[in-house]
Amino acid sequence: MQNSRRIILGYNSGVAFLITAFAAFMASGANAAEPIPWQMNFQPAATPVMEKIIDFHNLLLTIQVGIVVLVLGLMLYIIIKFNSKSNPEPSKTTHNTPLEVIWTVIPIVILIVLAVPSMKLLFFMDKAPNPEMTLKITGHQWYWSYQYPDNGDFEFDSNIIPDDEIKPGQRRLLEVDNQVVLPVNTEIRLLMTSEDVIHNWAIPAFGVKMDTVPGRTNESWIKVTKPGTYYGQCSELCGVNHGFMPVAVKVVSKDEFKKWAAEAKKEFAKAKNTPVKVVKMKSPAQAQLR
Amino acid sequence: MSETAHADAHEHHDHRPTGWKRWVYSTNHKDIGTMYLALAMIGAIVGTAASMAIRVELHEPGVQFITDFQFYNVLVTAHGFIMVFFVVMPALIGGFGNWFIPLMIGTPDMAFPRMNNISFWLLPAALILLVIAGLIDGGPGTGWTVYPPLANADFHPGMAVDFGILSLHLAGASSILGAINFITTIVNMRAPGMTFHRMPLFIWAMLLTAILLLLAIPVLAGALTMLLTDRNFDTAFFSPAGGGDPLLWQHLFWFFGHPEVYIMIIPAFGVISEIVSTFSKKPIFGYLGMAYAMAAIGVVGFIVWAHHMYTVGFNVETRAYFTLATMVIAVPTGVKIFSWLATMWGGSIKFDTPMLFAMGFIFLFVVGGVTGVTLANAGADQAFHDTYFVVAHFHYVLSVAAIFAMYAGFYYWIGKMSGKQYPEGMARLQFWVTFIGVNILFFPQHFAGMAGMPRRIPDYPDAYAGWNMISSWGAYITAVGAILFFVVLWKTLTSKETVAANQWGTGANTLEWTVASPAPFHTHEQTPAIGTQPAAIGTQPAE
Amino acid sequence: MANEAAKTHPWHVPEPSPWPIIGTIAGFIMAVGGIWFMHDGPIYLFGVGVLILIYTFYGWWRQVVLEANTAGAHSEQVKIGLRYGFIFFIVSEIMFFFAFFWAFFHSSLPILNNVAQAWPPEGIELIPASGVPLLNTLILLSSSATVTVAHHAILDDNRSKAIMWTWITAILGAVFLFFQAEEYIDATFKLSDGIYPSTFYLATGFHGFHVFVGTCFLAVCAMRLQKGHFKPDHHIGFEAAAWYWHFVDVVWIFLFVNVYIWGSSSFGHVAAG
Ligand code: HEA
Ligand code: HEA
Ligand code: CUA
Ligand SMILES: [Cu+2]
Repeated sequence: MQNSRRIILGYNSGVAFLITAFAAFMASGANAAEPIPWQMNFQPAATPVMEKIIDFHNLLLTIQVGIVVLVLGLMLYIIIKFNSKSNPEPSKTTHNTPLEVIWTVIPIVILIVLAVPSMKLLFFMDKAPNPEMTLKITGHQWYWSYQYPDNGDFEFDSNIIPDDEIKPGQRRLLEVDNQVVLPVNTEIRLLMTSEDVIHNWAIPAFGVKMDTVPGRTNESWIKVTKPGTYYGQCSELCGVNHGFMPVAVKVVSKDEFKKWAAEAKKEFAKAKNTPVKVVKMKSPAQAQLR
Repeated sequence: MSETAHADAHEHHDHRPTGWKRWVYSTNHKDIGTMYLALAMIGAIVGTAASMAIRVELHEPGVQFITDFQFYNVLVTAHGFIMVFFVVMPALIGGFGNWFIPLMIGTPDMAFPRMNNISFWLLPAALILLVIAGLIDGGPGTGWTVYPPLANADFHPGMAVDFGILSLHLAGASSILGAINFITTIVNMRAPGMTFHRMPLFIWAMLLTAILLLLAIPVLAGALTMLLTDRNFDTAFFSPAGGGDPLLWQHLFWFFGHPEVYIMIIPAFGVISEIVSTFSKKPIFGYLGMAYAMAAIGVVGFIVWAHHMYTVGFNVETRAYFTLATMVIAVPTGVKIFSWLATMWGGSIKFDTPMLFAMGFIFLFVVGGVTGVTLANAGADQAFHDTYFVVAHFHYVLSVAAIFAMYAGFYYWIGKMSGKQYPEGMARLQFWVTFIGVNILFFPQHFAGMAGMPRRIPDYPDAYAGWNMISSWGAYITAVGAILFFVVLWKTLTSKETVAANQWGTGANTLEWTVASPAPFHTHEQTPAIGTQPAAIGTQPAE
Repeated sequence: MANEAAKTHPWHVPEPSPWPIIGTIAGFIMAVGGIWFMHDGPIYLFGVGVLILIYTFYGWWRQVVLEANTAGAHSEQVKIGLRYGFIFFIVSEIMFFFAFFWAFFHSSLPILNNVAQAWPPEGIELIPASGVPLLNTLILLSSSATVTVAHHAILDDNRSKAIMWTWITAILGAVFLFFQAEEYIDATFKLSDGIYPSTFYLATGFHGFHVFVGTCFLAVCAMRLQKGHFKPDHHIGFEAAAWYWHFVDVVWIFLFVNVYIWGSSSFGHVAAG
C-alpha cells in the first residue's frame, strides 16, 4: 500500500511538472516584446510575418519531434529486443526492398509537405505589398542611424545605453538613447545599408533579420500590429562591440507618430552636426577601438 | 636495397627506423596516423580550453573575466578553426584514415608515403601560425567565417588575419595533398577481388571525403588568396569602394564551407557503419544504399552553399532554390539513419563502449539533423539565423556527432593500434558523462536561440541568463568527460592487458582484424585474399 | 630468402625521407616571411623560404627520378598510381582557377550580383584581345601541338627528335611569358585600380605562374631526355608535364575567351538597373 502510494505520488508530481513545464512553454513570453527568463519559445509575434513564421515552425517542430521520437523509440526497442542476451542468434537480413523504398519515399513526402508552406512564407515575407512609408537604416561600428524620408527626412543616431547609466526597470544591453518610433498597423518598407562592415538589423518579435551590407541596399518590411516597445540586437559579427548595438523600436498610434515626427524633425535637425556620442562600456578595449 | 637485409626471421619482420627519425622522416601510414591522432588530441586540448573560456564568460550576464571584447571574438574564432581543422579533420581523416585505409583494403601503405608525411607535418606548422595569429596585433576577431569588410585591412590592420590566412593555406595544402593520396590509394591499391562494391563503408566514406576535399579546399585557397591581396596589395575583390562585393567572399567561403561540414561528418558515417555492423554481428543493412547515400550527400552538398546566406539580401527566387536543394539532403541522410537501425534490428548486440558512442551518435545526429532542416527553410531562418539556435544545431552535428564518432572509433580501434585493452568500465563512464554533458550543454541553446539570443556576443541581456548558466554547467561536465578520456587513454597505454587480433569476435570481419594486435609495422606484405560478400572479407592466407 | 613474410605486393614503400619536413619548414618560413614582407618588412626571409622550397623540390624529385631509374621500384601498378595522383592534382588546380573565374563572373555579370557595375568599369583602358593576347593564344596552342609531337617521338623511341620538340615547347612557354610581361608593363591600369585589374591580374597572373612552372617542368623533362631517362614504356614524368601543359593551355583558352574577348565587349554586361 505504502509503496504504491508513493509511486502514484511520484507519478503525479511528475505529471504536474510536465504540465507546468508545458504551460510555461506555451505561455512563455506572452505580452512581452523582449526575451524573458527561461523562455523556451519565440517571442510573441508583433507582425504578420512573425505570426506566419511561428505557425510554420509549429508544423516543423511537430514533424521533427515525431521523427526524433520515432528514432528514439526504434532504438529503445532494439536495445531491449536485440541485445546479445535476449537475441543470441543474429539474423542475416541485409535487404528489404519495400522497407528501403518506404524510408526513402516517406521523407520525400514529408519534405514536400514542409516545402509548400515554406515557400508560401518565403514569398509572403519578401516584399511589402504596398508600403505606406519607408525607414532607412544604416549600420555603423557600433550604432545604428535611422532616416525617415517620408516624414521630413530627418535622421538620428541610436546608441546603446551603457551599463552604468541604466536606470532601474531598463533592460541592460537592449536600451538605446534614441528609440526608433514607428506607427502601428502601417506597412513600412525598411531599406538597409552599412557604412563600414556588415551588420544585421534584427528584431525577433517582428521576424525581421536583414544584413546591412556596405555598397548594397537591402529591403525588408514590417507591419506591427500591437503598440509597444520591441527590442533586438545586431546579428552579424561586426567587431569588438558587436554585442553592444541593440535595436529598440517604439510602436505608437498613427497620431502619436505624426506628433513625434514633427518634434523629431526639429530636434534632430539641430542635432545633426553634433558629433557622435561616445559610449563608454566597461571594457577598456572598447573605448580604445571606438 | 636494404629492405630485405633487415627483414630477418623476426615474426612480422618488424624492422622500423628508430629514434626521432622514425617519426619526423616517417613513410609509414600507421606512424603518420598516430601522429595525426596525437595532433588532434593537442588540438582538442587547446580548442576545448577556448570553449571553456567562452562558457565561463557566458556563465552569467555581465563581464566575468574577459574585459577585452576583441579577445572574446578571437577566442570564438580560434575555437571554431581549431576544432574544425585541427581536431575533427586530423582525427577522423588523417588519423583513422591513415591507419585503416591500407589495413582495410589490404595494401601495405598509402600510395605516396612521403607525401603522406608532408600532409601531416604541414598541420603542426599551420597550428603554430594560427596560435601566432591569436597572439599578435589583437588577434583575428572575425569568426571562423572571416567575412570582409571586417577581415579587411581597414578593420583588422596588423598581421593577425594574415597569419590566420596563411595558417589555412598550409592546412589546405595538407588537405589537398592528403586527398590526392587517399583517392589514389583507394582507387588503385585495393587487394585483388575488392571491387568498389565490396569495399567496407569506411573506405567509401574516406573516398568520398577525399573527393570533397579535392574539390572544395582549392576554392577556399583561391578566396583566401584574394583576401590576402585585398588586405595587402590593394585589390578590390571584396571592397565596394573599388567595385568589388563582400558577398563574393561569402559565396566562395560557403562553397567550400558547406562541403566542409560533410567532410567532417562523412568519415564519421563510415566509422559508425563499421561499428554498428560489428557489434550487431550482422553485415550492414542496404550496403549499396549506404554507399550511394553518402555519394548523394556529397554531390548535393555542393549546390546548397547559400543556405548560410539567407539574410544577405538575395532575391526570393534564389532563396527558394537553396531552400529546396538543402531539404533534399535529408533524404539520403535518412536512408543512412534507417539503414543503421535496420542493421541493428535482429542483431545480437553487445553494448561495449564503441557501440554506446555509435548509438549516441545516431540519436543525437538526428536531433542535430532535424534542426538543420528547420534552418534550411529560408523563411524560418529569418528568425534563427545568427542566433544560438544555429550554434545548437551545429554543435549537435559536430561537437556531439562528429566527436562521438571520434571517441567511438578510438575505442573500436585502440586495441588494434596499441595492442592494449582499454578499461571498459571507465570508458562507459566516460560515455555517460559525455552524453549527459553535451545534452545539458547544447540543448538549452535551442531555447536561448529561439528567444532571440545572437551568437558571438560576450555579454547578453539578463533574460538569457538561465539557459546560459545551464549550458555552462553542461560544458563543465563535458570537459570532465574529455579529461576522463585522457585518463582512459593513459590507463590503456599503460595497461598490461593485451587484446587478440580480432578482439570483437565474429561481427568484425574487415581486413584490419586479420592482422595481429598491435598491428605490426608492416602489414599486408602478402596480398590478402578477398571474399565475395560485400564489405565482408575472407581471411588472410596463413602467415 | 629465409623470411616467410616475403613481400608479394607490387607497391613501392619508400624509405624514411627528410624532404617532407624540410618542405614544411620551407612553407612555414615562406608564410612568416611573406607576412613580414607584406607588413613593410624586408623580403629576405620569404626569399630564404623560397630557396629552401626549391631545394626541397630538387632533393625530393631527384630521389623520385632515382627510383624511377631503379628497376623494380616503379612497377606497372605504381605507374598507374602516379598517373592518378597527378590527375587529381590537376583537378585541384582546376578548382583553384574556378575561384578566380567565379570572382570574375561575379563582378561582371549583373545576374550574379545585383550591384555589379558596368563591365568593363569606366576609366579602364582595355588590352585589345586581337593584339598580344591573340598572339599568346597562338603560341600556347602551337606549344600544345609541339609537346604532342615530342610525346610521339618518345613513344617511337626517337630520342633526338623528342629532345628537340620538348625544348621547342619549353621555349614557346618562355616566349609566352615574355609577351605577358610586356603586356603587364604596357597596361595602363595598376593592380590597385579596382575590381577589373584585381580579377584581371590575379587570374592571368596565376595562369602565368603556372606557365612558368610548366616551362620549368618541360625543361627538366628535356634534360632528362638528354640523359636517356625516358623509355617508350616508361616516361611518367614526361606524361605529367604534358598533361600539365594541356591544363595550362585550356585555362588560357578560358581566360582568352572570357576575360579578354567577352570581358571587353558590351555583350551581356548591361549594368543592373
Ligand atoms: C558536421 C557538420 C554539419 C552537418 C552534418 C550539418 C547538416 C545540416 N545542416 Fe548545418 N551547419 C553546420 C554544420 C553541419 N550541418 C555548421 C558548422 C553551421 C554553422 C556555420 C556558421 O555559421 O558558423 C551550420 C549551419 C547551417 C545552416 C545555416 C544556418 C544559419 O546560419 O542561419 C543551415 C541552413 O540551411 C544548415 C542546414 C543543415 C542541413 C539541412 C543539414 C542536413 O545535412 C541534415 C540532414 C539530417 C537529418 C535531416 C536527420 C536524419 C534524417 C532522417 C531521420 C530522415 C527524416 C527526416 C526528415 C524528413 C526531415 N546548417
Ligand atoms: C568540431 C567542432 C566543434 C566542437 C567539438 C566544439 C565544441 C564545443 N563548443 Fe564550439 N564552435 C564550433 C565548433 C565546435 N565546437 C564552431 C565552428 C563555432 C563557431 C565559431 C564562430 O562563430 O566563428 C563554435 C562556437 C561555439 C560557441 C559560440 C560562441 C559565440 O558565438 O559567441 C560556443 C558557446 O558556448 C561553443 C562552445 C563549445 C563547447 C562548450 C564545446 C565542448 O563540447 C567542448 C568539449 C570538448 C570535447 C567534447 C572534445 C573532446 C575531444 C577530445 C578529447 C579529442 C579526443 C581525440 C581523439 C579521439 C583522437 N562553441
Ligand atoms: Cu553590428 Cu554586429
Ligand atoms: Cu551548410
